[in-house]
Amino acid sequence: MHAYLFPLYYLAQEAATQESTEGFSLVALTNQLVNGIGIVGILLLTGLGLAITFGVMRIINLAHGEFIMLGAYVTFWMQDTFGMDLLLTIPFSFLITGAIGALVELTIIRRLYGRPLETLLATWGLSIVLQGVVKLIFTAQLKYVKSPPYISGNLTLLEDAQGSPAIAISYYRLFIVAVAIALLLVTGYLLNKTDLGRQVRAVTQNREMSKCLGVNTSLVDMVTFAYGCGLAGIAGTVISSLKSVSPPMGQDYLIDAWMTVVTGGVDKLFGILAGAFLIGESSSGIAYLLNDPTARVIVLAAVIILIRYKPEGLFTIQKRG
Amino acid sequence: MSKKYKQTLLSGISRRKFIKYSSLAVGSGILASCTGGGTSSTGDEDLGENPIKVGVMYSTTGSIAIVEKSLQDATFLALEQINTDTGPWQGNGVGIEGRKIQKVVVNPNSDWDLYNQMSKRLIDEDRVVCVLGCYTSASRKSVLPVFEEKDSLLYYPVYYEGNECSSNVFYTGAAPNQQITDSIPYCKENFGPKGFFVGSDYIYPKESNRIAKAELEKAGGQVVGDEYSPLGTTEFITIINKIKQAKPDFVLSNLVGDSIPAFYRQYKDAGLTSDAVPIMAYPTTEEEIQAMGSEYATGHYTSFNYFQSVDTPQNTAFVEQFKAKFGDSRVTNGVMEAAYIQTFFMAQAMRDALQKGEELNTGTIREASRGQTFSAPQGQVKLDPDNYHAYLYSRIGKWNADGQAEIVFATPAAVKPIPWSQVLYKGRECVHKTPDDRSNSVVETGKDLEVQYLEET
Repeated sequence: MHAYLFPLYYLAQEAATQESTEGFSLVALTNQLVNGIGIVGILLLTGLGLAITFGVMRIINLAHGEFIMLGAYVTFWMQDTFGMDLLLTIPFSFLITGAIGALVELTIIRRLYGRPLETLLATWGLSIVLQGVVKLIFTAQLKYVKSPPYISGNLTLLEDAQGSPAIAISYYRLFIVAVAIALLLVTGYLLNKTDLGRQVRAVTQNREMSKCLGVNTSLVDMVTFAYGCGLAGIAGTVISSLKSVSPPMGQDYLIDAWMTVVTGGVDKLFGILAGAFLIGESSSGIAYLLNDPTARVIVLAAVIILIRYKPEGLFTIQKRG
Repeated sequence: MSKKYKQTLLSGISRRKFIKYSSLAVGSGILASCTGGGTSSTGDEDLGENPIKVGVMYSTTGSIAIVEKSLQDATFLALEQINTDTGPWQGNGVGIEGRKIQKVVVNPNSDWDLYNQMSKRLIDEDRVVCVLGCYTSASRKSVLPVFEEKDSLLYYPVYYEGNECSSNVFYTGAAPNQQITDSIPYCKENFGPKGFFVGSDYIYPKESNRIAKAELEKAGGQVVGDEYSPLGTTEFITIINKIKQAKPDFVLSNLVGDSIPAFYRQYKDAGLTSDAVPIMAYPTTEEEIQAMGSEYATGHYTSFNYFQSVDTPQNTAFVEQFKAKFGDSRVTNGVMEAAYIQTFFMAQAMRDALQKGEELNTGTIREASRGQTFSAPQGQVKLDPDNYHAYLYSRIGKWNADGQAEIVFATPAAVKPIPWSQVLYKGRECVHKTPDDRSNSVVETGKDLEVQYLEET
């Protein structure tokens, strides 16, 4: 059998076995799609910081995953030493990762504006360094973060005949979605409605002109990059409760975050919401019909094809240069 | 963003530049792995005259470092005890017949190819007499041809999927019949006949689940699901939904590494309880429980040879010594114990060879390793003289709120290892000849092999 027929073959096989046992369940598929919202929330949250550093500033930041990891470690550290609640650590992880981001901008990124390839290499190196430093401080052991006890359980939307939940989504996943959307709105507001946001956009569009008009471009660059890193830190904090904290954890999210940003288009913040929704729901749906590894292959391949034919992303408004 | 900038961004990457930068990237990657994998012999301690060189090959960087670092810690503890005449080695004198062990430590950076290169280096350049190391089946498969071609010895401390019978490897972790065979009938009797199988997407979980599924069907149970996720995934919404839909009586998990804490956490968050659908797992140990938080594992099960809660004087001493060296917050687990005991198997074999006046090489250590016994933390264990796997206890533990296992099932003594699953390969076993001529050692008996226990001597 030809290789490209395999997915179809599996699909047919899967559908056949399901029909013979329980029948193709629309309820279960709906449940899967509802839960796909949980994946969308994580994609949105992890992609948001990248939408700032890449989408707005055009920095190819391969250390993005490591800033997520740093946020998770800030939460672990504050819980471990001060016994703080996860939600209370959010502002600290924003500030601390933001500060580290500012430092990175000052020392490395600043010298590389307009040289995307060098930036790529430098941030890749940075990601190795950050992982190494964290490993030296906290050791390579998996760490554990306590999730907030008051956000537990499931929201049941539909019960089956036996009274057990047929369509349900955990409150923590909804909380992640809420945090992601709130951050998206705050970011949109900052970028479009405030003086700082106008300056940020002015600097990225025409650095020289902005400088002539009296904008402190280096300060704007630093603040913007730090803000993007701070958002990644918040993502790390919120996600840490779903899994364990370890130095390589950020790597998992790097590719997903890039896919989200590239698919949605980098010019508009709305693009990332659309990108997250599209990737999250399609991988969730395909994973349900086939299986997880296959879904990942199909979605990645689709994104590659998309970039080939629509490099500016799906949801970009054509503008004049 | 202006179109102009975008153009410069894309046109800036000409083919020539791409080649230049990508080769730079690859080059620096190689450089990084080389420096990360540098040999480091412990130079600070006084090793006396004529030390014995032993290779220690575990990754302390990269994706598997989380597990392999613990194996290295346990190995270092054993080597320190051998060199200082403490712990189980007490009474044997410092070192082995007066010769201390010099560990040659390499770090293969969780990269399967580097395992291969570094084992060659250990054997050819550092001239070690044997190597302690590897964790994943992928890394073992990567170094196996090296040890066979150069006729050197590897001590491998990990439970694995079986189907191997090399005369250059001593397998001191569980063979399928010491971990899977007892756990499946236990699940069927105590939880129900319907099993849902999950695992990470690589050789060990797939083979292990294949054996477990066959065992379940043989026991009269039913496989209601079989799902794999990419190694390192921490997103389990889909698999958990499929579990909910299939309504199994138990879930059998062969997820490894970082996926374990994520799976248990999301399992509980999704409303699946250990009362209704308990998880039986192989790779979930004290360390992973600690990493996920014990409340997520309470009531679930693990099948392993050793738990930190095993009640033997040897284990009390082992846990105490381990914590004294590495910190009170650390836990011990089954793979670490295997890494610990195999170091003593090796040391005892070297001692016996030296006492007979032989020089230390692959041949003498191999012959002396056969049939070694050791009072391990898990109980009395023995290296099988026929198949080079270890007689080990088979136990099932139920996790409690303290992150420790309450042992609900244990064999009366260590079980004789059989490298091939008897459900899939009936009657196939492995017998190496004495002295080893490295000929084909697979023996097809065609009969049901009976369970044999280690007899106390």
